[in-house]
Amino acid sequence: MSDKQNEPMLDMFLFETQELLNELEQDLLLGEKSDSLDLAKINEIFRIMHTIKGSASMMFYTHIASVAHSLEDLFYCLREENPKIVDYSRLTDLVLEVSDFIKLELEKIEQGLEPDADPEQIKNEMNQMLQKIKQDNMEMEEVNSMEQYKVVIFFDEACQMENMRAFTLIRELEDITNDMVYTPNELFDNEEALQIMRKEGFQITFLTNIGYSSIQQIFAENPFIRNFEFVEDLCEELVISSNHDDITSCSDESNCIKIEELKVEENKADKSKIEECNIEEHKAQAPNQKMISVNVNKLDVLMDLVGEIVMLEEMVMKSPDLEGLKLPNFNKTATQLQKLTGELREIVMSIRMLPLSFTFQKMHRIVRDMSKKLDKNVEIVLEGEETEVDKNIIEKISDPIMHLVRNAMDHGIETMEMRQRIGKPITGTIKLSAQNVGSDVLITIQDDGKGLNKEKILQKAKKNGLIVKPEGELTDKEIYNFIFQPGFSTKENISEFSGRGVGMDVVAKNIENIGGSVSVDSEEGKGMIVYLKLPLTLAIIEGMNLKVGASVFTIPTSIVKESFRPKSNDALMKEENHEMIMVRGEVYPILRLHHILNIKTEITDLHEGIMIMVEQNDQKICIFCDALLGQQQVVVKALPSYLRRMNQMKYLAGCTLLGDGTISLILDLANVKKK
Amino acid sequence: MKKVLIVDDAEFMRLSLRTFLGKHGYEIIGEAADGKMALDLYEKERPDIVTMDLTMPVMDGIESIKEIMKIDKDAKILVVSAMGQETKVRDAILAGAKNFIVKPFTEESVLKVLSTF
Repeated sequence: MSDKQNEPMLDMFLFETQELLNELEQDLLLGEKSDSLDLAKINEIFRIMHTIKGSASMMFYTHIASVAHSLEDLFYCLREENPKIVDYSRLTDLVLEVSDFIKLELEKIEQGLEPDADPEQIKNEMNQMLQKIKQDNMEMEEVNSMEQYKVVIFFDEACQMENMRAFTLIRELEDITNDMVYTPNELFDNEEALQIMRKEGFQITFLTNIGYSSIQQIFAENPFIRNFEFVEDLCEELVISSNHDDITSCSDESNCIKIEELKVEENKADKSKIEECNIEEHKAQAPNQKMISVNVNKLDVLMDLVGEIVMLEEMVMKSPDLEGLKLPNFNKTATQLQKLTGELREIVMSIRMLPLSFTFQKMHRIVRDMSKKLDKNVEIVLEGEETEVDKNIIEKISDPIMHLVRNAMDHGIETMEMRQRIGKPITGTIKLSAQNVGSDVLITIQDDGKGLNKEKILQKAKKNGLIVKPEGELTDKEIYNFIFQPGFSTKENISEFSGRGVGMDVVAKNIENIGGSVSVDSEEGKGMIVYLKLPLTLAIIEGMNLKVGASVFTIPTSIVKESFRPKSNDALMKEENHEMIMVRGEVYPILRLHHILNIKTEITDLHEGIMIMVEQNDQKICIFCDALLGQQQVVVKALPSYLRRMNQMKYLAGCTLLGDGTISLILDLANVKKK
Repeated sequence: MKKVLIVDDAEFMRLSLRTFLGKHGYEIIGEAADGKMALDLYEKERPDIVTMDLTMPVMDGIESIKEIMKIDKDAKILVVSAMGQETKVRDAILAGAKNFIVKPFTEESVLKVLSTF
């Protein structure tokens, strides 16, 4: 199965199936809200299962195929028999179970394991559901189940007075139905009606509770009907009034699909209906554009190449050979080249950008599952899900966001009774929003639950020895942000969802690892809000180059607040082992890079070097280095693996090439500060 | 065998219907030349099927259908109409006739309609 030859196909299979399952979940969860599934969704899910069944059996994953097949059967029944009694909540659970089952198997395949789960149990469940639907609706049919039929009738031309034939037929049908619409509906004194009936047939749509076969018999027995056909009603369901006088007709051409076409290709019409509905839905949903899928590796290579080009261009432009030469023509073309490479870089970067919608949409599922388990009523509101972020970043923030949402569900939002008692709306709200702020993306997760308990946090912080300032000087925000420290959980018992040992500190670490920052604010009793600030992309950053000894380092310009050379009259303090500097009445800790990184340099006097004030996670510190070399866009490259294994390398986030071809190391300031 | 009452003011029509219905297994229990006669015969004979001309003297077909329906709401009446009588046919159907054929008719079509009665 997993021999080399199959690999591209296997990749495609995995990719496509996963995409389909994601689509499926979204469709489903939207449907569950309205407690019903419309025909378009049923068709969609049916189609998805059908595709998965097909490709899984192509790949010889027969158990996946058989599970998909069972679900397909179930939806076939929904589609064809249009049953009235369906437990949609149970159905949704079941489909999600199937989705999970297949996902798990795909994961196994992806990791090269044998997909070996037993499909029997889930298949049984589906069968039971199918039986139940059939049974429920059979009983109902006996009682009173109105079915809508649409029939197109062609009368025998020799029978004469077709309009009267139609009229007689209508009279006959009135015995079995109270609701009927027919086209043409002006049967008398209407020359056109005859023509239409001859050309397009006489269309009757009616509701009745007698079965299909009895209806068929009525038409079959009528001696003047040359031909008749039941048509799936593809137009919007006709509004059939129970009042006869008000009979409307469906003569609007554009609204009705030509019968001839239908006869030839029912399938085609089916599809067009789905498409029609999709178009409608797309308007309402997150932007869903036409896409092609590209292997991410290729994009990475492309990004690398563009990075190299940008750097080489810099090297050419600043080549020492050119120094002192007057080159007007060269400079002109060089400027043009620069402009083009700039555009190229932007385009390549935008290719890698994906909307957050998918990550956000996943939260629907989490909220739904947890709502059921925790018996809390929670609604999730998504905002700005069309905001685009680099694919690499999206991959890395999915887990933290999920964790934060879970946290809000589990610890934030109160139980229904509790909410009722304290006069909050019974349904809690979690708001997930994203927006562009400069070159960053700001994601916020806000809940209207009970908020953070300042006292508890303070006590815990004291116990863990996290408080370095006098207590009175701590702002509320500082106190709240202690929750991102390792080993910080004020909740004593661990529940199924959050507090599984993965604390807020891991969230903070994950976000910092990709150059972002986390902060939190809260109002007790009213809820809390977590801010995630993320860079748009990991690949190219605006960098500030600085020199320590003989080495060059780069830090992201975005965190630099200011740089200055300390004057002799700047107040310097030394407290225990910490050096501090007073700037405009505020005291900041000093970090000597040469000290931390163990680099020999002649500049150790603070007055000779330069201070760079950086801000990260609402903390400002001053970094001391020998000199500033300048600012440029740098392409971030991963450190070679042999370097990554070395312990000291934790201060480094990566490396980059400078304009003159030298290598610069990118500092990971979050880690540097910890030292 | 189904019992048929033929109502038509034209002797020729009655004859042709009688002949070919008789040939195809229907029992002709009576013939009427106007609506009034038809009504009387219906009451007496209770036929299974009535073939009814519309334009007749004394009492026309529509009136006759209405009266017959009053006696027997399940009466099965086949209207035998001439061309161009849409309005009359409609009234007949509204009055309770089950179906209609148009003169000149083919034997086949009449048999087909009657088989559904």
